[in-house]
Amino acid sequence: MPFSLGRTGLIAAVTLREALRQKLVGLLVLMAAGLVVGVRGLQDFNFGAPELKFIADFGDGAIAGFGAVLAIVLTAQLFFSEIENRTALTLLAKPVWRTEFLLGKFIGVAVVLVTFCGTLTATLAVVLGQREAGLRLEQPEAFAMGGAVNYSALVVAAWLHALKLMLLAAGTLLVASFAQTQIYAVMMGFAGFVICHLQGFAHGAYERSGASVMLMPVKLIHWIFPDFQRFAGEAAGDVSALGLGLLTIYAAGYTAVALGLAVYVFRRREV
Amino acid sequence: MTDGTESAVELEGLTKDFATGLRGVRLRAVDHLSLRIGGGEVFGLLGPNGSGKSTTIKVILGLLAPTAGACRVFGVPSDRVESRVAVGYLPEAPNFYRFLSGRELVAFYGRICGLSGAKLVARVAEVIAWVGLTEAAERRVGTYSKGMLQRIGLAQALVHDPRLVILDEPTAGVDPIGTAAITTLIRGLKAQGKTVLITSHLLAQIEEVCDRVAILDRGRLLVSGTVAELTMPKGGGPDRMSGAEREELNQWLAARGKSPTALSAQSTRLDQIFIEQVARNRPNEREESA
Repeated sequence: MPFSLGRTGLIAAVTLREALRQKLVGLLVLMAAGLVVGVRGLQDFNFGAPELKFIADFGDGAIAGFGAVLAIVLTAQLFFSEIENRTALTLLAKPVWRTEFLLGKFIGVAVVLVTFCGTLTATLAVVLGQREAGLRLEQPEAFAMGGAVNYSALVVAAWLHALKLMLLAAGTLLVASFAQTQIYAVMMGFAGFVICHLQGFAHGAYERSGASVMLMPVKLIHWIFPDFQRFAGEAAGDVSALGLGLLTIYAAGYTAVALGLAVYVFRRREV
Repeated sequence: MTDGTESAVELEGLTKDFATGLRGVRLRAVDHLSLRIGGGEVFGLLGPNGSGKSTTIKVILGLLAPTAGACRVFGVPSDRVESRVAVGYLPEAPNFYRFLSGRELVAFYGRICGLSGAKLVARVAEVIAWVGLTEAAERRVGTYSKGMLQRIGLAQALVHDPRLVILDEPTAGVDPIGTAAITTLIRGLKAQGKTVLITSHLLAQIEEVCDRVAILDRGRLLVSGTVAELTMPKGGGPDRMSGAEREELNQWLAARGKSPTALSAQSTRLDQIFIEQVARNRPNEREESA
């Protein structure tokens, strides 16, 4: 009996419906959107950056931060709700591959994450556009030498965020595939998130210092964990089309490996 | 009943061990269990809590891999997805996606099993009507009572018209009216010629609907056979008399103003057999309780 995209899609659709009913999703979207929309009221935290850059960076941070929480917690919650409520039992007693089950879960979460990034980026673009129009009237001279918002960079940043969050969801799913409790999967997901963010710095620092003793383990971590610094939204304006393609392949590769390992582990799990 | 028909389920020396967390210590949930369930029969799997019934069912459904032995469903090893194509399963105390309506839920499982289009719509309506939930079909499953959950569970198990239906404690936590309704549905499945594997603590229910039963304890098969075989009193009785002898006996009774039913032996009930067999398998516990 071959693998079926149709069955995977059905599981993804029911996962998406379940995700959209989670209070957590609504709460995180509202909080992130609130920060993006209300960023002009937070100018006290601006320590000298141009206002538009501050708004863009703040919005980018809100998407990255709340998105990470969403990716980790939602993935763990949707996976363990199937196990703990024993709905997985009924589903896996049907002619369904465990690969289809896990991929369906992942795709359902991925759709939420892409929608989250897209919606908040669009909101951020509206906020930036309104403020830019206001500033053009108030200080036209400030725009004489450029300084306008790079909207295409916003789109690139949204895609980079989505890639990173999907990778994070796949990693969380990998942990969930063997974890016995949801809290363990969430904690490990956050630990992985921190490692993925910091390992690039550590690798660079040890390489520069030439400390050979620590370089090997740091190199190993550098290979095992993806470098989330590559997906930083603030650098989106500098990413070429080729670079974006390579980053997409990089994220897709790590996501595929994480999902492959999750399937391998989950196939042996006693449901 | 089983001779000459295809086997719906075949278990050969099935053994399932669980790691208990301590190094090297394993708990044997099913111990060299061999069974054959023929096509079209209603088979009852009995046993006290922890006897290995649910583990056996999970192995049959491919949800657990056996430690040793073999399990085949319609000739296909149960670890293959194909083995579940013709199987419907109602888990114990079922829980479903609470946000779907009854109709959406059954349609979802129907699609998962490959139904689509008009065939799906018709089949969903048919099984929902069969379990008596047509009026509640548009309500969210989260609002259903336990009895309704069991019935919608039965509908999802039957939506793809499986040949083997596995019911794990189908009446657990259901009130007597709901239990009677489910018993009627099981009889309906039998009338449709489906093979039914059922576990239940309600032995009267098992006795009523099952063709054959097996009693498990601590993962081992204690006894199996038809309900009539197991409940027949030991040491003969009126059935072993010739017609002439029986007539003579009846005349002897009539001369003393007694009817022949005065001699009819009370057949042993299944629950007595169950308790006897389990107690015999646990001599230490019997001594302790004494």
